[in-house]
Amino acid sequence: MTTATLAPDTRTTHPGPPPAARSISLSQTVAQSITMAHRGLIKLKHNPEQLFDVVIQPLIFTVMFTYIFGGAISGDVESYLPIIIPGILVQTVITASIVTGTQLREDMDKGVFDRFKSLPIARISPLAGALLSDMVRYFIATTITFAMGLAMGYRPGGGVIGVVSAGLLVIVCAFAISWIFALMGVLMNKASSVQGISMLILFPLTFMSNAFVPADTMPGWMQAFVNVNPVSHVVTAVRDLANDGHFGIHVVWSLLGAAIIVAVMAPLTVRTYMRKT
Amino acid sequence: MSTPTLPRPAVAADSLAMLRRSLKHLLRSPDSMIMAVALPIMLMLLFVYVFGGAIDTGTAYINYVVPGIILLCAAFGASTTAVGVSSDMTEGIVDRFRTLPIAQSSFLTGHVLASVVRNLLTGAIVIAVALLMGFRPTSDPMKWLGVIGMIAAFVFALSYLSTALGLLAKNPEAAGGFTFVIMFLPYVSSAFVPAETMPSWLRWFAENQPITPIIETVRGLLMGTPIGSSAWLAVAWCAAIAAVGFVWANVLYRNRVTR
Repeated sequence: MTTATLAPDTRTTHPGPPPAARSISLSQTVAQSITMAHRGLIKLKHNPEQLFDVVIQPLIFTVMFTYIFGGAISGDVESYLPIIIPGILVQTVITASIVTGTQLREDMDKGVFDRFKSLPIARISPLAGALLSDMVRYFIATTITFAMGLAMGYRPGGGVIGVVSAGLLVIVCAFAISWIFALMGVLMNKASSVQGISMLILFPLTFMSNAFVPADTMPGWMQAFVNVNPVSHVVTAVRDLANDGHFGIHVVWSLLGAAIIVAVMAPLTVRTYMRKT
Repeated sequence: MSTPTLPRPAVAADSLAMLRRSLKHLLRSPDSMIMAVALPIMLMLLFVYVFGGAIDTGTAYINYVVPGIILLCAAFGASTTAVGVSSDMTEGIVDRFRTLPIAQSSFLTGHVLASVVRNLLTGAIVIAVALLMGFRPTSDPMKWLGVIGMIAAFVFALSYLSTALGLLAKNPEAAGGFTFVIMFLPYVSSAFVPAETMPSWLRWFAENQPITPIIETVRGLLMGTPIGSSAWLAVAWCAAIAAVGFVWANVLYRNRVTR
């Protein structure tokens, strides 16, 4: 029995140029980011317990602080509402922005981002999508806090325009801050570490502010911190808009601060994210 | 052929062994240790420096708030107990205990006693931090004993109740959720603000719930404020909660281990 031997292929094969890396336009990047944001919303739909912090927290905190501490701090509940509603709003929405970092870390741990890398999409879109979908959570928290306040007797002097402006300001600031937590999510190894360290940063920032009580009732050394605390500026800005319809210097500081955070943290987060994935 | 008889379990010795086990768990859990120390300190700083200046209680706010912080930390500790019991029930260690010649009740007693020890230590931390921050109690040694006894009675009662909640829960996460109400009760009392500053409907609840007479008793013993009937009410509430918790926990435990 003879074995047939195949003659070796003597043709020289010249490898052609590699296929050109498909460049993704800005409009495509935006569209892909919106698709990824939609993915985030679908996750919310399937895991509604993720909304616990933006639904339950404003309800409990508003009721607790207003009815328990309101009389002792401001004399009566009605007088305390214009102080506490903006304070609770800022605290709830800013605290909710931590979830951006923890969710991002969980997704990266599960290997979802490795799958996204194999898709012909902009590398930034999963990150941008996560941050965009979280804005829906901020909107829910804002709506519930104001609705709860109105139900309890809060009558914002700034009217509809003032309240809407205050809500938008908080959402913009939370979006900016979420870039910080997104960076922490990319850098850290565990979602629980992101959660723990983020709370460690936010707890003093939110409570050592003018969110719950006027700064002048605090000890001198604490007042010094409260007056330079960025959360205090946001709270005062929200109060100015909601209670008086006044677009003051604190609104400018808040927007400027948000812009600086995004300008610094967004490129840093993206670069770190690109390097890690 | 005669069947060998197992020695009758010594309840006290077995309970102490379980107490040792629970305390070792605590010492080997840095998260719990940090929380047990950090929580009272953070709460003291928060309430005294952030809210203290804005709340008028007719006295230095730190002197008013210390009993409330101690009881709030105890309520937080109750959550830890419930989660610990639930973890043990779900991890299968109880099945191993059942094969040993030990008193079956010692498992629960160990958890409860560990909770009492842990919360008394937390209470000591609260008082130490408060003294550094300017807390000046006016009580004599006998009244201090009364304070320790009252806190121990409250923690004991609460620990049995949270043990029952831990047994009721299907998993540790649910156990933490069940104790949320217990953690919330000290806020709706005279712990942080006088009940008379609250709206009438809330004031009625604050004045008639179990935490308020306990706080008023501890505050009276520490600061010399009038106690009135609060002491008897406090003891009655502690006894009632402990009795309900004890019976409920033992029934639930028996049901779960014999299934």
